[in-house]
Amino acid sequence: MRMNLNNSTDYDCLIIGGGLSGLACGITCLSEGLSCAILSSGMSALHFSSGSVDLLGYFPEATVVADPFDALPRFIDMHSEHPYARCGINTIKEALSFFRQEMAKADLPLHENHSRNHFHVTALGTLKPTFFSQQSVFNQEIRSVIDRTPAITIMNIQGFRDFHPGLAAANLKRHKLFSACDIQCAEMHLPEKEKNPSPVHAMRSIDIARLFDTMDPDEIARHITAACPDGDIVGLPAVLGIEHHNAVLDRLREKTGKIIYEVPTLPPSIPGMRLDNALKSRFAAMGGVFIQRETVEKGTIADGRVTSIRTKNQNDTLTAGFYVLSTGSFFSGGLVSRFDHIEEPVFNLSLARSPEARCLGSENFFARQGHAFLSAGVITDEAFHPKTPAGETVENLFCTGAVLSGYNPVNQGCGGGVAVATGYVTGRRIVRDFYAITNQRQGYPDLP
Amino acid sequence: MIDLDNTSFDRCIKCTVCTAYCPVARVTPLYPGPKYSGPDAERMRIKTPFLADSSLAYCNNCKRCETVCPSGVRITDFISLARSTRLKKHHRIRNFLLSHTDLAGFFTTRLAWPANFLLGLGPVKTVMGLFLNISAKIRFPAYASGRFSGELKAQTRIQKAFGEQVLYFYGCYVNYNFHDLGRDVVAVLNAMNIGVIAPAQKCCGVPLIAAGNLARARKNANANIQNLAAAVKETDQKIVFSSSSCILTVQQDYPELLDMDTSAIDGHIEFITRFLYKKFKAGNLPALKPLNLTAAYHSPCHLERTGGVMYTIEVLRRIPGLQLTLLHSECCGLAGTYGFKKEFDTIAEDIGQPLFRQIRATAPDVVITDCEACKWQIEAHTGLQVLHPISVLAMALAKS
Repeated sequence: MRMNLNNSTDYDCLIIGGGLSGLACGITCLSEGLSCAILSSGMSALHFSSGSVDLLGYFPEATVVADPFDALPRFIDMHSEHPYARCGINTIKEALSFFRQEMAKADLPLHENHSRNHFHVTALGTLKPTFFSQQSVFNQEIRSVIDRTPAITIMNIQGFRDFHPGLAAANLKRHKLFSACDIQCAEMHLPEKEKNPSPVHAMRSIDIARLFDTMDPDEIARHITAACPDGDIVGLPAVLGIEHHNAVLDRLREKTGKIIYEVPTLPPSIPGMRLDNALKSRFAAMGGVFIQRETVEKGTIADGRVTSIRTKNQNDTLTAGFYVLSTGSFFSGGLVSRFDHIEEPVFNLSLARSPEARCLGSENFFARQGHAFLSAGVITDEAFHPKTPAGETVENLFCTGAVLSGYNPVNQGCGGGVAVATGYVTGRRIVRDFYAITNQRQGYPDLP
Repeated sequence: MIDLDNTSFDRCIKCTVCTAYCPVARVTPLYPGPKYSGPDAERMRIKTPFLADSSLAYCNNCKRCETVCPSGVRITDFISLARSTRLKKHHRIRNFLLSHTDLAGFFTTRLAWPANFLLGLGPVKTVMGLFLNISAKIRFPAYASGRFSGELKAQTRIQKAFGEQVLYFYGCYVNYNFHDLGRDVVAVLNAMNIGVIAPAQKCCGVPLIAAGNLARARKNANANIQNLAAAVKETDQKIVFSSSSCILTVQQDYPELLDMDTSAIDGHIEFITRFLYKKFKAGNLPALKPLNLTAAYHSPCHLERTGGVMYTIEVLRRIPGLQLTLLHSECCGLAGTYGFKKEFDTIAEDIGQPLFRQIRATAPDVVITDCEACKWQIEAHTGLQVLHPISVLAMALAKS
């Protein structure tokens, strides 16, 4: 950790947006010795995510991808505007392995199915192909057990209103993978929960997660066994604690003799919060400064360079050698939909869809082709530099994650992968440019 | 007529992130959390005021809900307003004593020794607990003899001799309890050839807001705005604050919660570390000697809310030989006067546990934080010395 070399700016790198992509970029910059701050406007979309990281789930159109690295060359050929096409397959691989290593250092080991996709199970009982999952959720190892012991119990915790085992079970049964399974529903009784004397306090996932963090796991194991004496596999809502869920899970598996997995439920997502915690603790441990409540109101661009950004809360002007815009899509406020146009509110960058495009959604919610707003976003050059409305490329500004155009995170199942890969590749580019400018560490390895 | 002054609850998307990070909801089921108490219930309260329920009192005003909210809802404002306008007042004498810091300071600083002796006495604590509902577990911060305002006034000529001046809002804690912090602020600024002038000031009003006495808080706000505005007009200098809660109150609560016109002082208010950071960057860095010290930095909730943590960290990083660990941001629990109230003292203690565990695991020589209440709480529960960032900087000043 050190201060930025160039004392005329506040940081070597300022990142606007503290979600998956911004943090991945920040950690990459810090790992090479740059000074870095992230300005976040509240908590990120990770709190609404499954906590798994998708790479490429569906290609071509709605076909589940088994081996994403096998599919990527053809996918990139067909989608030349996709952020993946600009990262390159080797860099994507490198980004994912860097991300997994960093998360392991933050005590959040991620499950990977030998560089292939695996399914994780949703609260609705559907299956989603994904690349990294937390070790507690349904993954390939559990999937391989199903053929041998086809009895699954989907269990709720009594009084928890954000999970419905009946719905999950009914949908799971319709899937060919589970058609031979005996799927039961059960409800676990957690006496600790009944100590809650207040009728107004709705027990949310977070409250139960805290019980799992503090209760004796052996006692929880007894309650699980009482609710489900016979089944071999138990699916619980994702509430197995935030601080040491892996230890709790191991103990529960050992004590009950059952395979137990978690199903992500409604926000705030516990697996998402674990990922958020792990990323932030890595970022802080490496010397990064994370500002949780600061909105960047405006950025100033002159002669193709960002000269400064203006913050709302502190009402201050900050400067950096490099700027990264990782503000997300419409949901996170990185893109704003007005009555007759869409815009990027910080720098007013050029967008891929014509800003006048009125129709950003499909009439059918589950339409095959998806919704146009999901692929809206900033257009960039090959290095993720955006353009001003006048068509000028902004050299010291990069865009990463959901603010980018050219991909559909839902239809293609690639949101997390794009966030991590574009964050990482941008971090690497900033490091390279930084050392080229400061003439330090000549011969810093170039990007593949 | 329904008052639709703050309809930011319409921006609430019911994501429950605020409640997930609420330190009070974490430790007690008696508090339904900021989402319910704030935007959810406010919709109903504006039509049906009697729906305001006593669980509102549990909010400790840490504002973490607003810090984490992805949608920019002014959650604590709803709770503070509803608490002051719609709840029946309890513990009136206790709340009067805890929130009228200027009045208490007026007497105790004249009789500091007997006051500290009495407040530390077991039987007195028992009586305060029984009749006033003031926690017997808590140790009152010691009162100082005399006031900082007088001490600084006596130096006016010396301070005016410096190349430039800055206005200092020292706040009640420096004025009545802990002159040393004020002296450190003066020492650091003087070492940078900046003189320190104190404009007339009252308590910022944060304990009054916490006690639900918004009318009285407005009176203090009005006096402060007038005094500070007059000083700004006369000198055109910045007003620096060394307490993170005072500045949050003046900067955000005056205009938003108390509906005051702060335009005369807007743009002139700065937290001391931001002021120093800008000066350091412009090249005015005092001569510093290396400190051989390991420190853990705890960011106070109210500094998190104003986005000011960055400046403190960067100022601390310029101190040579200071080994700094940044603690994961957690509420210490005391929350100003909250932990002094008997009905909340156990909650306050429970809230702080994760922070205390972190500090013990880090095992630093000292803890650094910008907030006086955090300081009392961390010192009481970890036994470690807790210093203000400016005091650490003052320690590192090379004696000339």
